[in-house]
Amino acid sequence: MRLPIQINDNSAEPLYHQIESQLRALIVSGQLTENTLLPSNRELAQSLGCSLITIRRVYQDLEAEGLLRSRQGSGTFVAKVDSEAGTRQLRQSAEEAIRAAVDAGLAAGLERAELERLFAVELDRRCGPKTGDRQDPS
Amino acid sequence: MTEKGEAGMREMNTEARAAERETAGAAVWLHGAVQLRKAFRLGPLNLEAPVGCVTAIVGPNGSGKSSTFRLLLGLTAADEGEIRLLGERVGDGLDDTELKRRMAYVPEEDSKIEASLRGTSQAEFVSAWYPAWNQGEFERLLREFEVEPSKRLGKMSKGMRRKFELALALAREPELLLLDEPSSGLDPLSWRKLVGELHRYMERGRHTILMATHILDEVKRLADYIAIMADGRIIGVYEKDELLSSWHRFYVGPGLGGAVSEGDVADLPGLVRAEESGGGTCRVVTSRAWEAEGWCRERGLPITGQRALELDEIMEQLIRQAR
Repeated sequence: MRLPIQINDNSAEPLYHQIESQLRALIVSGQLTENTLLPSNRELAQSLGCSLITIRRVYQDLEAEGLLRSRQGSGTFVAKVDSEAGTRQLRQSAEEAIRAAVDAGLAAGLERAELERLFAVELDRRCGPKTGDRQDPS
Repeated sequence: MTEKGEAGMREMNTEARAAERETAGAAVWLHGAVQLRKAFRLGPLNLEAPVGCVTAIVGPNGSGKSSTFRLLLGLTAADEGEIRLLGERVGDGLDDTELKRRMAYVPEEDSKIEASLRGTSQAEFVSAWYPAWNQGEFERLLREFEVEPSKRLGKMSKGMRRKFELALALAREPELLLLDEPSSGLDPLSWRKLVGELHRYMERGRHTILMATHILDEVKRLADYIAIMADGRIIGVYEKDELLSSWHRFYVGPGLGGAVSEGDVADLPGLVRAEESGGGTCRVVTSRAWEAEGWCRERGLPITGQRALELDEIMEQLIRQAR
């Protein structure tokens, strides 16, 4: 099985962290279902072009979080995800991403108003204009 | 262990990793090994190549890589220190027949003595010595590498001879594979096949590779650990992904406060070098990229350009620091 994980070589974010957050998202979002057998350490390391140690660390961390479980000799499987914990996880990573976007904006010297405008434009594009702002069709 | 040696080992620092290595065991274990020669001092060498992993030794020409292999094989004796392969002591003049059956070594230079032998007779000879010899695997490898085994070894091209020797080593199904510049003389296509075969070998059981190489792509594709050698010493052993992702070059600034000077980034985590690079920006090299990124963000210093250093650039920095 090939996991849809993308590695950014020029990011300073450690590889294990990049892989861990993407794999976590695949699990909590339900894209990888319970009891799915994941590739072996060596297989995944090879397909992502990273070292065995990195994959071992990812699997160990996610196992400690309760998202994976390993059975001696038969491999690493997706564990049963508590859906409430899953939602919490997703929300947490979304909040983190928003904070990172704000950081990037501030670092680029954008003012609060400008940032708000950018967020509004993006939200309008994705979700349609805010109900209160909707033009009266009449 | 000398001060330098300890510093080297400390690079593989976290406790978890140390514990992991202890339980997995070291397939190659060098402890304070020293070899004194007239013009060159090799060591003290301290290295643990964990079972189940690929450890690559990299370093400039003449740094002692091939001499280290000769020590490991007991071809030359150490003047001090201890060497163990697969848990067995090496170099005491003990009978190492059993140990040698569990490992394979492909030297950098192909032997001239066997030049008149045909590949097939050489294989027959070798197979008789190794109980784990896998004839089916040997034939598959020869087909895969497109080697004509009926040729005399001396008549094979450098690349074909190389592939023959690699097939001979892999077919022995060794627990430990020692490779000195395995891809020397290989064309790019054969090289890719070799990398594929070495991956395959690693997937088939508790196997270990220790290889010396100067091909950086080989290190990237194969290694789990990187041992850097310079001037006859191992200056550090690093986990590959950690090493390759922690060295970055950034362009910082200009920030809200205007131009960024060298002084502004003096406390940047892992700072190796900083120089003003025009347009209010400062070019910095850091060995702790992730922390450095966070540090800049907290201070509102924009990072306008960023790239990971290549392994050769990292090596250059580490060797300079060690000297």
